[in-house]
Amino acid sequence: MAMRSQVYAWNSGNAAFGGSAGQATAGTSFSIFIGGLGNNITKPAETTATQFVVIEDIGCDATAYDATADGLTGNRAYIQVVINTTEYFLDPDNVGNDGVPGTAAPYPRSIAFQPSFNLYPDVYVLPGQTYDVRYKAFETGATGSNDAFLKYTLYDGPDALIANKLLEMGISVNPGNVDWYKRTLISGASAPAMV
Amino acid sequence: MAMRSQVYEWANFGTGQRRTTGMTAQTVTANQELDIFIGGVGNNITKPAETTATQFVVIEDISASPHNGGAVQVRINTTDYFQNPDVTKQTGVPGTASPYPVGAPSTAGGTDNLLSSFNLYPDVYVLPGQTWSVLYTPSDEVFGTGSATTTGVACFVKYTLYDGPDALIANKLLELGVTVNPNNVDWYKRTLIEQSSAPASTGGAE
Repeated sequence: MAMRSQVYAWNSGNAAFGGSAGQATAGTSFSIFIGGLGNNITKPAETTATQFVVIEDIGCDATAYDATADGLTGNRAYIQVVINTTEYFLDPDNVGNDGVPGTAAPYPRSIAFQPSFNLYPDVYVLPGQTYDVRYKAFETGATGSNDAFLKYTLYDGPDALIANKLLEMGISVNPGNVDWYKRTLISGASAPAMV
Repeated sequence: MAMRSQVYEWANFGTGQRRTTGMTAQTVTANQELDIFIGGVGNNITKPAETTATQFVVIEDISASPHNGGAVQVRINTTDYFQNPDVTKQTGVPGTASPYPVGAPSTAGGTDNLLSSFNLYPDVYVLPGQTWSVLYTPSDEVFGTGSATTTGVACFVKYTLYDGPDALIANKLLELGVTVNPNNVDWYKRTLIEQSSAPASTGGAE
């Protein structure tokens, strides 16, 4: 269990694990982990000294820009990744923005809402770092609740060490490359000694 | 964080400030280019998009609402990227070819679901020190709040920002004629590491 595909789905209407059920306040950024709204976890997301996290996909509810009374249908929602205190997504003037629009990275996906965005390169959370995923909507009342989704891979123990090594070597951290590095180590160890 | 996937979404909500609550749809004039960064309509940033001496931007995708005949153009410094075969000016990639969101209807209130016909490949490079902008042009006027038919329109830009040492590597790849993407930047780093860890040459021939 040293490399594990992980997901975290957040719904503001789900009051499980301490969060209160409701709808996100317009213009307010909510941590989907510990924001107090919807399903939450017990403490901020962080990696231990022997863990390495690679965030591979994020998404949230989508908005249609169309001919309606307001010109849109949906929450105008965005999702941002924060590592320690640094916001990952910036505007072109290098100021932190609201993040990826749900319209570009919709969750859930449908025929009418398909992704325009692919999180590549992935986001690395190094050992000992704290990370957060923040949801922000600019409209409320359009739909009953707010949704967000996070897909990541957790590397633990020896695989986290290998992930760090790959990072040092400038190689993308993914399960295929971790396996490749292990095979290299094994074939190196089993090779006959040089005379 | 030297290579970062970045996005910018513009919608005709607001009058040139950053995104806030309570913004209403604004009118977008037909057949007139609108800078989605600093055009004064919809959400905007504080200054023109530009790269510093230690930044390199690769624009990987652009798209726009397909209704109202919207099209999207990239401008680097003063040069428009998309042009007609006779080298005259055009409005850029139509939203019907690169819809945002993918699956949006071709007409406001329509029920079809458009898919992308367009893929921005090769990517568009913004070199260090250059200014860039993305221009939205609808062929039909987009009516804002208070009009008989309020319509929302949006544009989307996906790009990768290379910063610091990775921007230098991106420049080097460009000189070498190698495509600038995260894989190739990583490949160049590995090459540098391999060279620096290789045993030193023992000198001339015997």
